[in-house]
Amino acid sequence: MEDQLLTVIIVVATALAFDFTNGFHDTANVVATSISTRAMAPRLAVGYAAMLNFVGAFISLKVAATVASDVVDPESITLLVVFGGLVGAIAWNLTTWYFGLPSSSSHALIGGIVGAMLVAQGPDAVFFENGIIGKVMLPALVAPTLAFIVGGTAILVLYRIVGALKPRPVTTGFRGGQVISGGLLALAHGTNDAQKTMGVIALALVAYGSLPASDPTPPTWVVVSAAAAIALGTYVGGWRIIKTMGSRIHKMDSAQGFAAQGAGAAVILASTHGGFPLSTTHTISGAVIGSGAAKRLSAVRWGVAGNIVAAWIVTLPAAAAIGALAYAITRLFGTGAAGPLVVSLAIITGAALLFSRRAQRGPVVSAEA
Amino acid sequence: MLAVVDWDALLTVVWSSLLGGIGVTAAYGLVILGAARSVELGRQGRAGEAVVYGLLGTLGAATVLAAIVFGIVVLSDK
Repeated sequence: MEDQLLTVIIVVATALAFDFTNGFHDTANVVATSISTRAMAPRLAVGYAAMLNFVGAFISLKVAATVASDVVDPESITLLVVFGGLVGAIAWNLTTWYFGLPSSSSHALIGGIVGAMLVAQGPDAVFFENGIIGKVMLPALVAPTLAFIVGGTAILVLYRIVGALKPRPVTTGFRGGQVISGGLLALAHGTNDAQKTMGVIALALVAYGSLPASDPTPPTWVVVSAAAAIALGTYVGGWRIIKTMGSRIHKMDSAQGFAAQGAGAAVILASTHGGFPLSTTHTISGAVIGSGAAKRLSAVRWGVAGNIVAAWIVTLPAAAAIGALAYAITRLFGTGAAGPLVVSLAIITGAALLFSRRAQRGPVVSAEA
Repeated sequence: MLAVVDWDALLTVVWSSLLGGIGVTAAYGLVILGAARSVELGRQGRAGEAVVYGLLGTLGAATVLAAIVFGIVVLSDK
């Protein structure tokens, strides 16, 4: 097999593995609210979320376009840069998962690519101002804040409208509504998160020469495979979540659940339309905190809010550093497939070791995006 | 730094999130209010008021449905 073809296959497989873990981690965010308010049975909620994650990936390609053309210069991209970036993101996610640190898979992915590109081509190949600040960091800060405001305001408006009604029809009505809002949230999650992987695969195809740098629109097979990977990850991740969910989910009433899901979906879908690759977990957390705070200020989980800020500050540079290191190590083996093969094996071995050590300490639910 | 931000796109995200998030949830609140009151008033034999609340609920449901369809159509515009 041609060396470059083997390299691009490894890069695409790594990107899809990243997409799978993204869905795996995020199941809790997407289905937790519906399950905790008993709007949906756990198995049904997980299957429903996985299906709508898949469908959501087909709705838009604007986030993929941002990742493929506005973060780093697609003219300067190489397969090893994309691979180094992916390894940086995966390694950072595994590390933060193992130590229980706050993180964002989306920021890790972009940070990893930027770090690898910096080492490979220098700062001129990275679009710091227009891309990193304007399209990644600022929207990443605005989205959770906006979701907090929308979630808080929405629940206040809802209590105003239905406050005088008897509890039973209200609870039943909002549980029904959560089927809609939970579906929209899963759709929103699928469309924003799957597109990041599509954008990275598009960069790899540009580097391979099968896509033009001037128009790196992902081909259909990329869209389908990214959609399938995130949906499968969501479905598989769900079975683990169901076992541990009962004691970990913050209790909320069905109106709060509906408001939080609606707010999260609205902000993620609007951001997706703007082409902003944001952290879906941070946005959903912002909406959940907002809907809780509006009812009772003490319900605000300030620790979670602090974690979002910490993750916002730390993830991008940390993943960039690991991405740079991963690129440098891969490059030691030359420009062919040997480097990606060796580093992939090292990552798989490292991940297996971390999983086995972590499993000995009991199950962990870590929801990052 | 301020010049590099696409403020138009960001402001569109802000207003559409506020309108979609709060508007749709409020409209769904009207569905529940309309349905619950309509049933309650119907049982009390106050048919006229029951119909008005029924219409309010129907209007809310139509708004929710229209907003979702509109949102997906706009989003699908690649």
